[in-house]
Amino acid sequence: MRSSAVDKGLRVGVIFGIIIVTMFLIGFTVTGAGLVGKIFGVSSSYSAPPSLIFFSIFMVLLGVWAGASAAARPLTEEDSLRRALTAGFMAGASAGFISAIVGLIFGTLAGKGIDPRTYLPSVSPDSIRTFLFNQPVPLGSLLMFGLLTVSGVGAAFVSHFLRNNNALKTGLHNTSAAAWNLIGSERVSRVTKNPYARYAALLVFAAILIILPRTWGGYWNYVFGTVGIYIILGLGLNIITGWAGQLVIGYVAFFAVGAYTFALLTAPEPHNLVLNFWVALVLGVLAAGISGLLIGLPILNLRGDYLAIVTLGLAEIIRILLKSDLMTAYTNGPRGIRDIGGPTLLGQSFISDVDFMYLIILAVLVVTFIATRLQNSRTGKAWYAINLDETVARATGINAFVSKLLALSLSAAIAGFAGVLFASRNQFTGPDDHVLMVSINVICLVIVGGIGNIPGIFLGAFALKGLPEILRETESYRLLIFGVLLVLMMRLRPEGFLPAKRPALEKSAASKAVGEEV
Amino acid sequence: MTVCIETKNVSKFFGGLTAVNEVNLIVEEQSIASIIGPNGAGKTTLFNCISGYYVPEGGEILFYGAPIHGQPTYQVAALGIARTYQNIRLFGQMTAIENVMVGQYPRFKAGWVDAILATRRERNEEKQAIQEGRRLLKFVGLEGLGDQLALNLPYGAQRRLEIARALANKPRLLLLDEPTAGMNPQETDQMTHFIRSLRDELGITILLIEHDMRVVMDISDQITVLDYGTKIAEGQAKEIQSNQRVIEAYLGPDVTSLTEKYQLRKKQRHDAKS
Repeated sequence: MRSSAVDKGLRVGVIFGIIIVTMFLIGFTVTGAGLVGKIFGVSSSYSAPPSLIFFSIFMVLLGVWAGASAAARPLTEEDSLRRALTAGFMAGASAGFISAIVGLIFGTLAGKGIDPRTYLPSVSPDSIRTFLFNQPVPLGSLLMFGLLTVSGVGAAFVSHFLRNNNALKTGLHNTSAAAWNLIGSERVSRVTKNPYARYAALLVFAAILIILPRTWGGYWNYVFGTVGIYIILGLGLNIITGWAGQLVIGYVAFFAVGAYTFALLTAPEPHNLVLNFWVALVLGVLAAGISGLLIGLPILNLRGDYLAIVTLGLAEIIRILLKSDLMTAYTNGPRGIRDIGGPTLLGQSFISDVDFMYLIILAVLVVTFIATRLQNSRTGKAWYAINLDETVARATGINAFVSKLLALSLSAAIAGFAGVLFASRNQFTGPDDHVLMVSINVICLVIVGGIGNIPGIFLGAFALKGLPEILRETESYRLLIFGVLLVLMMRLRPEGFLPAKRPALEKSAASKAVGEEV
Repeated sequence: MTVCIETKNVSKFFGGLTAVNEVNLIVEEQSIASIIGPNGAGKTTLFNCISGYYVPEGGEILFYGAPIHGQPTYQVAALGIARTYQNIRLFGQMTAIENVMVGQYPRFKAGWVDAILATRRERNEEKQAIQEGRRLLKFVGLEGLGDQLALNLPYGAQRRLEIARALANKPRLLLLDEPTAGMNPQETDQMTHFIRSLRDELGITILLIEHDMRVVMDISDQITVLDYGTKIAEGQAKEIQSNQRVIEAYLGPDVTSLTEKYQLRKKQRHDAKS
């Protein structure tokens, strides 16, 4: 009879083996090593072969992960050291075996002068050599097998030790209990509830927001400007999709309407209107809001996902129209619009990257303020009721059509606002700025952050738009990582990283009532 | 007495199926009327016609003399007709008090601009809505559970919360679709008592669908029996209990003949003995 430890170890090991082989085949082993290098402060270049040490560390990390998850506390059996070690060994060894076999195959092929890049463009001779630790083929495979096995067993031993060491456990318990006591203690809560302490915290926060754009340079202003624009987009989409529950796939349509309206009104070409920034901004937001209203009128009386399909179509129609010869006279066609106006105030123009960062921070604050106010208002509750059960919402007296129309128009207007900022900052906008990928990104960031939750959207925007800039090495795997992230999210945290919470209205009202009585 | 709700020859078809067939119903103000009938008799369809979810193909529905058929659900609700559902339909991801606050929607005016600017109207209405919500939760016996998500409440509490949500709009007519379904005898008694108090204390007219005959016979001022979409009987508890067509509808047409046969045979045996 096979023990469950062997079973579990094999299962985990095979999964990790497949992951390692997939990483190798798409060239991620090299990227992973580069990422490890970055942690140690060594930046890698694309041309140089990856460092062996960092590659080994990367592999050990994977082996440790496999071993630790195989040796996790069993549900039904006794948590013995022998069981943990068996599981860890099996996991490490089977992952190592699979990787070694693949290494052997590719090493031999490369030795015979066959270049696998014909079929697998990412498997370069360099990456094969690294995969075999720069050793001859048999020795390299053996090293791979050994490394993963040892790290699996080691991880199993350490995780079992950490779990079952009583002294360590009580120590940890005491520390965390002390920390919680401190957080919950009277003294701390008095400070956090003190209005002056809050003002002080707000001041510090404001100071950071003012100082940072001045100090960290143009590149980071650009990156975080983009993050800010995506936060605005996420907050906007969240109104119609997160709160009112109507999926909008072609959200970029309204972004494009805002950006192009603003561009056409302020650029010298093709119409030479050159309106004032603020006037054009208002008109851009209005145009986007009205386009949302118009697209919603015929379809929002229907239930289901018609809105998703229709907006998807709208986004593509707008993009293709902008590219077409038909519209060249009005929108410059595929060339796009140049020299879009920047913000002016009292005759002074503010178009430096720092000024724009301030403008975007201000815009994010305004939109966050609006979203927060709407969230738990009568209107917001009606949206959420429609989201949860439209039939019942109608039967409680909510005009679902008008409510949804309002949500869509507000969402569209906010997207238009983001479009205006985007066009103005880049001083250029063209059809290629308004591809469907923008919508997909926004949907992703809302879902990953925690649908319906404002802090979640901030987190999502930083994770999906900020992190890829920080981790430049993973550039070419961005879509892959997106996919993996989404699948993991759906499995582990289906409500997003920071799921929405409902306010405790009864309790706060009760405590207020008590206060009045006293 | 004033008539609260009246249906005149109301019919509703689904394709070739006649779900409700020319039903006439008159319910007087501040009374409790029950609709009973076997499964598929068209009771819930009639409810859906009254609450505006379906538009009847024929006939009229009058609420205090004014026609309401063909009006959208939200307008019917705003007029003061509230309902509950056979399978409880709360806004599960909202808290209990929020459910009641959504129920008050038509009573307030503040729109999105008020919400963004936090105008005096918005703040006053929010305060009123919370107060009224707490009052209603207390009325249905859910005080202290207001901040629980509706889906986390126990079954009986969910039923009562659904009624609290229906009451939030201060309705004049309350449609209850099987309010005691899935309850034990004790809970059923409480619910019966509660329904009666709705009429006596709040002056609400109540129209209810119910399968538990004990409840129906106990609280109804008037009972209407539907079968295959047609009204087959109407009257007070006593009359309905002895109505031949009602017994046939529930137990099948052979029941009477069976009893007759039994009586006949008994008589024969008796005769043979003597």
